[in-house]
Amino acid sequence: MSLKDIIAPFSVWKRAFEKPYTTKKPLDERPGAARYRGFHINDMNKCIGCGTCEEICQNAAIDLVPVSKTVHGDSGLRPKIDYGRCCWCALCVDICPTSSLGMSNEYIWIDSDPEVFRFIPGHDDKPWNNSELGYRRAEGYDLLEGQRVAMPMLSFEESKKSFVEMVQGYSAEQARLEADRCIACGICVATCPAHMQVPEYIKAIRDDDMGEGLKIVYNANPLPASCGRVCSHACEYVCAVKHKGEALSIRWLKRYIIDQIYLGDYQKVLDEGEPGNGKKIAVIGSGPGGLSAAYYLSLLGYAVTIYDANDKAGGMLRYGIPEYRLPYNQIDKDVDYITSLGVEIIQNTKIGRDIPFSKIYDEFDSVFFSTGLTDPYGLDISGEDLKGVIPGLEMLDEVTKGLVPDIGSSVVVVGGGNVAMDAARTSKRYGAEVTILYRRRKEDMPADEEEIEEAQGEDCILTTQAIPLRLEKGDKTRLKLYWGKAEMVSEGPGKRPKPVLIEGSEELIECDTVITAIGQAADYSFLSEEITAKLSFKRGYVEVNEFYQTADRKIFAGGDIANPKRDAISAIANGHSAAKGIDIYLTNFRKLN
Amino acid sequence: MVDAKKQDPRSKFPPVEGGKSRYNLTSGKYMKIWQGPQHPGITGNMSLELTVCGDEVVDCKTHVGYLHRGFEKLMERRKYIQCFPLVCRICVPEPDFNEYLFAECVEELAGIQIPERAKWLRALTLEMARLTSFLMWIGGQAGSFGMGTIGQWTVTMRDYMLDLFEELSGGRIYHMYIIPGGVRADLPEGYEGRVESTLKQIEKVLKDVELALMHNYVFKKRAKGLGIITPDMVDEYGITGPNARGSGVKRDIRKDNPYLIYDQLDFEIVTETGSDAYARTWVRMKEMYQSIDLIRQMMKKMPKEGPFFQKLPNVLHWKVPAGQTYHKSECTRGEYGFYMVSDGTELPRRVYVRGPSYTHAVTLMERLAVNTNIADTAGLMVSLHTYPPEIER
Amino acid sequence: MNIIEDKFSVWQKRFSLSGFENKSSELAFVQVPADQTVAFITTVRDLDGYKHLVFFTAVDLLEDGVFRLTYMLHNYTTKHDLGIQTDISRDSASMESIHHLWPHGATYQRELKEMFGIDFPGSPGVNESFVLEGWFAMPPMRRDFDTKEYSEATFFPRPGRKTFDTQEYMKEQLYPSEAETW
Repeated sequence: MSLKDIIAPFSVWKRAFEKPYTTKKPLDERPGAARYRGFHINDMNKCIGCGTCEEICQNAAIDLVPVSKTVHGDSGLRPKIDYGRCCWCALCVDICPTSSLGMSNEYIWIDSDPEVFRFIPGHDDKPWNNSELGYRRAEGYDLLEGQRVAMPMLSFEESKKSFVEMVQGYSAEQARLEADRCIACGICVATCPAHMQVPEYIKAIRDDDMGEGLKIVYNANPLPASCGRVCSHACEYVCAVKHKGEALSIRWLKRYIIDQIYLGDYQKVLDEGEPGNGKKIAVIGSGPGGLSAAYYLSLLGYAVTIYDANDKAGGMLRYGIPEYRLPYNQIDKDVDYITSLGVEIIQNTKIGRDIPFSKIYDEFDSVFFSTGLTDPYGLDISGEDLKGVIPGLEMLDEVTKGLVPDIGSSVVVVGGGNVAMDAARTSKRYGAEVTILYRRRKEDMPADEEEIEEAQGEDCILTTQAIPLRLEKGDKTRLKLYWGKAEMVSEGPGKRPKPVLIEGSEELIECDTVITAIGQAADYSFLSEEITAKLSFKRGYVEVNEFYQTADRKIFAGGDIANPKRDAISAIANGHSAAKGIDIYLTNFRKLN
Repeated sequence: MVDAKKQDPRSKFPPVEGGKSRYNLTSGKYMKIWQGPQHPGITGNMSLELTVCGDEVVDCKTHVGYLHRGFEKLMERRKYIQCFPLVCRICVPEPDFNEYLFAECVEELAGIQIPERAKWLRALTLEMARLTSFLMWIGGQAGSFGMGTIGQWTVTMRDYMLDLFEELSGGRIYHMYIIPGGVRADLPEGYEGRVESTLKQIEKVLKDVELALMHNYVFKKRAKGLGIITPDMVDEYGITGPNARGSGVKRDIRKDNPYLIYDQLDFEIVTETGSDAYARTWVRMKEMYQSIDLIRQMMKKMPKEGPFFQKLPNVLHWKVPAGQTYHKSECTRGEYGFYMVSDGTELPRRVYVRGPSYTHAVTLMERLAVNTNIADTAGLMVSLHTYPPEIER
Repeated sequence: MNIIEDKFSVWQKRFSLSGFENKSSELAFVQVPADQTVAFITTVRDLDGYKHLVFFTAVDLLEDGVFRLTYMLHNYTTKHDLGIQTDISRDSASMESIHHLWPHGATYQRELKEMFGIDFPGSPGVNESFVLEGWFAMPPMRRDFDTKEYSEATFFPRPGRKTFDTQEYMKEQLYPSEAETW
């Protein structure tokens, strides 16, 4: 024992004169650190109720409960957190695709009632709801991927020269990477008109099980090769991942599944359907609505005959969409599978002209018509009947039939929808200079974003807020189109502003061809007068119930003629619903597994 | 277990039958005492079943299970990312080692390379965790010999360290900072300065602790000669960490199998030759200074910016390729390891946690407790620096 | 790297090693038949310097009907970890003890008996409970022990919790009667 060992411990007596570590009572507030993981906060307006927080919570501390109104892209559910289970790991904050969820730095809350520790952050009134401090996902750290896997595409230089398909499709590696971005929340399912099981078929891609994927796709969509290319993909506009940047390429992932399986192998994968039940159904029009109805009806055991006025089946898919967007062999793939199930398609037969409607009405057990919108609207300006003014659909139709359209070297397309874009880009491929005139602003254009972008990429000039005034015979060119500038006038909150001509403004474009693409109306002339009298119509649409049954119980209708959404996928959904409706009408509803 | 050959011939020890001592508790000569699971002189929730003769321990049996939460089993039912908030709970005083090893195993199996800065940030938190854990341990070591004041000083210092963790990660105890792919956030503004001022404060207190504890006659008298681990016992009992280094065995995973960026740091393995509780205390004291030095080195050498996280596949359906691996690191108590088996699904097949206390607190403690004074068992146990949750996982 | 491969070829002359996985310069796994395992462990411990038993545990390969035992040994000279693995049948699982090689082997074996139901005849205290005092159900680390089922039968959930599935809820709200996938 040394003396030091006795003395040393006493030397620390000096600590008695130092500032103590202890804090005086009552305790001052001691706020948590800026990154503290305290009680949750949730921005109610940003949250879309996708449920990813619930999914990742390993403690099952989160419930999703109804709070706000359900709309497309927002389930209206909001996370309710049970703080008896929460472990404050903040993975829910990290994964939140909208970044609505965060944490405050508040951690002190005492109450004798355990029930209060279960609440809906952001909805229930808590003092920390607007806390600036607290845990947020750090910049540079992210559990989800906001960027799309780039789709291999032809360059605009190449694409505008030919009708080769522009979008080349994902490779297996790319598709799996893209499918991996999906968080499987299912928000898109409600928005898809056909309510396709999107998360499930994307999972099939992740699992590399194309057969399963094809089955899931065909459950709700018998035209996937076409839809995988040209669907209006409402799903992608509501995709939860879109809040992080770019939505999942749902459409192209669907196309990927279809591209992997040969038509000949479909039968091995897909259900055969029920044996024939002896009942006969007539379908008028072989567009997406008619084909979809025919497919599901034939699965239910009905003998289906499709009457179509054109040379080949597909309707607007074939005759209204150019080949560089939807190659004809892809429509063939979809149609051929449907015909392989025994659906008979009688081409070049227009009901009302070649066969009276009443004959079909009497011969078949039920009739479904989905004849679409075929009569183009006119511009309603003087000079409209001059040579060189053609409707966009007519021009696209000609191209499909292999004819070279007479458009000259300069073209003005009037309209802002997909038909306008298709007509413009097709004209470009025939070497014309193309200008697109649209009445409203670019953001008001009904065409798909990609179509507008690609049209501009291919050097089509887009002139917005332009109203055609009159057409005259041209000097050097065939036509002179006078147009005036429009200004956007507000129609009150929540309403689309209206374009109003600025008085006195007048501009001139000299061109060889003016293509009108401002919409079409339905043509009901094929119906017999007696039937027309029975059916009811509203704003040009035939009125139907939820099973797409018209006022005549034996007649069902769907597609553009009965549905203001006017796109292929809605028509497919209508066909599906009508098939269910017809089955209920003719027998009793049976579940098809 | 009492080894028959090493049995003390003194008569007060129980008779040996079939290599095992047999007590006649009714003889009045022996008494069974439970130390723990609730006892100030026990580390965590564990208990020692002591058989004493007078105040001398003749047999000791470790009982665990008071903290069993079945982490290894729970992990088999969770996605990889969902295991991340679980693993830190296996060790309260230094949870970061669990986070690091879990992440390291997953990254190896999934073939993920983490950015350079993430490695430094990981090493920084691991070293801070070591320091924090040692600071708490002194409290136990001093307290078990009746010097509670020292514990109050160091536990305060630990709290200052926790403030730093809170600032960095958002949590004081469970930091959940090291995630597969890197770390969750970069250093906050001006963090370096606050770390340095805390380290200075700790250094000052450690000097006082040295005076009050290491040069304390009472502590020397009681800790010297207590719980002697001879060097040949080290391999026999699988002893690692300061417990081995206190017996002059120069082993430290940070040096022997350097992980993260430890090969870029300048340090020597601390050893003592006393082999007893006192020597182990010195090893730990010196390792605290070492940790402080290493934290300073890291702050200096660390790349000042750069990414700290490598994007993972979507964690909601992340399938880690099939395989197995083992990773280890040097925590304050010795070799801490994770053995992970993946079968290629979204859930880990098996995660095994190798905690150093597994051998230290059971087999070794049962051996060392014999022949000690009952008043010294607490001090002995703390000198092994055991921690029950890593035994029962 | 090569050192361990050389070692492996030496071992292979004496033992019928069925697999070898060289993970890195610091870690390798080797598969040994069950009846040669303890002999192999003794060899590598006494002749090859693998003196440190790092851990000993099992993986339940329910689908294959076996437990895979892993003895992790460490060589302090070469700083190398060697995982020695052997498969034993899940039915009446039993394995030779290693408590004579390392005293703490007995602790591992006691735990394996309790958690997996693997017997180690002769291992001291192997039948004593380790972590789970008073546990009579199936050894809980076995794959077929369902923790969720157990917890649902044993504990009660907090009342008043209800959650909604996003997809289902949106269907009810937005298109309850529309025909979709049937």
